[in-house]
Amino acid sequence: MIEVNHLTKKFGDFYSIQNVHLQIPKGEVFGFLGPNGAGKSTTIRHLMGFLQPTEGSCFINGLNCREASATIQQFVGYLPGEIAFIDKMTGKQFIHFIAQLRGMNDYTHAEKLMHFFELDASRLIKKMSKGMKQKVGLVCAFMHHPEIVILDEPTSGLDPLMQTKFIEFILAEKDKGTTIFMSSHMIEEVEKTCDRVAIINAGKIVATETITDLKKRKSKKYMLEFQDEQELTRFLDEEYVLERISSTKVMITITGDLQAFLHTLSNYKIIDLDVISQSLEDIFMHYYENGGAQS
Amino acid sequence: MNFTLFKHELFASLKLFIIILAVLMLYIVSVIYMYNPEMTDTLKKLTETMPEMMAAFGMTSIGDTLIEFLSTYLYGFLFMILPMVFSIMLANKLIMGYIDNGSMAYLIATPNTRFKIVLTQALFLIISLFTLLAVTTLVMIVFAEVLFPNELDITALLLLNFGLFLLHFAISGFCFLMSCSTKDLRTSYAYSAGIPIAFYLIEALSNMGGSLDKLQYITIYSLFDSVQLIQQNSSCWWMLGTLFFIGLLCYSLAIRFFVKRDLHL
Repeated sequence: MIEVNHLTKKFGDFYSIQNVHLQIPKGEVFGFLGPNGAGKSTTIRHLMGFLQPTEGSCFINGLNCREASATIQQFVGYLPGEIAFIDKMTGKQFIHFIAQLRGMNDYTHAEKLMHFFELDASRLIKKMSKGMKQKVGLVCAFMHHPEIVILDEPTSGLDPLMQTKFIEFILAEKDKGTTIFMSSHMIEEVEKTCDRVAIINAGKIVATETITDLKKRKSKKYMLEFQDEQELTRFLDEEYVLERISSTKVMITITGDLQAFLHTLSNYKIIDLDVISQSLEDIFMHYYENGGAQS
Repeated sequence: MNFTLFKHELFASLKLFIIILAVLMLYIVSVIYMYNPEMTDTLKKLTETMPEMMAAFGMTSIGDTLIEFLSTYLYGFLFMILPMVFSIMLANKLIMGYIDNGSMAYLIATPNTRFKIVLTQALFLIISLFTLLAVTTLVMIVFAEVLFPNELDITALLLLNFGLFLLHFAISGFCFLMSCSTKDLRTSYAYSAGIPIAFYLIEALSNMGGSLDKLQYITIYSLFDSVQLIQQNSSCWWMLGTLFFIGLLCYSLAIRFFVKRDLHL
């Protein structure tokens, strides 16, 4: 169980995070979404006991993250956001080194993980690609069967195929009852794995909600290409939020009922329909519009 | 103390250790080889022709005994600078090297307290330095005994090298403190190399005599006085005590800083 109580961190006059409040029960997969520099890593560093909070505190399983960090590390796995290792070692040497620092001498699970992520760890870390380094980090985070895992942007550097494999892996861990806290700036990976998600921007939590609610609220964008301009002009009379791209193309935003939209479309001659994947910015815009109105 | 980490550092710093030791040995052997009661006359003449230059490197009085000869030619420059270089490089690597490249995250994400990690690194630095000087002492004794049997005052040499160790203990403590308390590797290197080198230059200036003599009160190198140590004067004890105290203070502060500091990993 992870608790973050009204956490504030100030660097000089700048608030890196402000009044961050989170509660993550055991067994939950929790996503932490936000653009670069929003305060995701700062929050995570507090959980790891790397930083001293200006105000507030955080606890893992009831232990203070700053004071009892060594005890906490026994059952926590961590993947740092910055990919950095001791360059002169091979991947395997590094993994064994970290295992020994943990007091482990059984590497079977580490081997299994390397096999799962298709990692050839016999190479020098210095010569590895970004994705391979990320895999070394993932093995280090999971090799000691942690009950809580904190991952800072786990899929950065992984190719799409590996990202899918990673999602599969996280879901398997979730079934085992592992609590997972992961930060990301990709909505898709959070959607596929997490139960709940917090959205942070400029150091403040904008929203905390379940993935089901997030999906419901999420609007989708479609790019439509009409056969000719007349068709498009005819379509403009329908009441949709849209943006005209060219003489025959429009971008349309749909929130909620998709059925009605599809029904309407059947009345028009359309030559192309594209789904525009939603970026994090779009989600933020959504929360700013709604959140701004509420407060 | 964590033995896995200690072992790792041992292998990682072996190359540096061997290079420094090899250079030291090369000089020790050639300086002892140069010792020749008759040859000191030529060196005396050299000192007379350019006294300031020789004095700057602590080569003032050319003693008649082997130990005085060694203290003049080795302890003025070589034994000051080389172990200092070793301390600067190792101290920066042991803490700031890991912080700066980010791999410290993995070290402290293991169930070892920060205190345990920093204590391991501090002890490693002290033990390396001690080993370096112990091997140096041994080489000096063996080589001197082979070339000039019974010429070397071994008690005086041991005391002299003990003083040298305390001096470098203090300097390494300062380097370690910089390594633990500064924000990045560049700053850490700037302070941990710049300040000891500045002290050494001040010492060199003060050795040249005249009105610059007063400068000796602001440099740590004055606390290592080879003449006093060889003669075992009573004032050498408080000097050794002060060096030990400075070292201990630096290491304690360094450990405290590292345990309390914010780490952006």
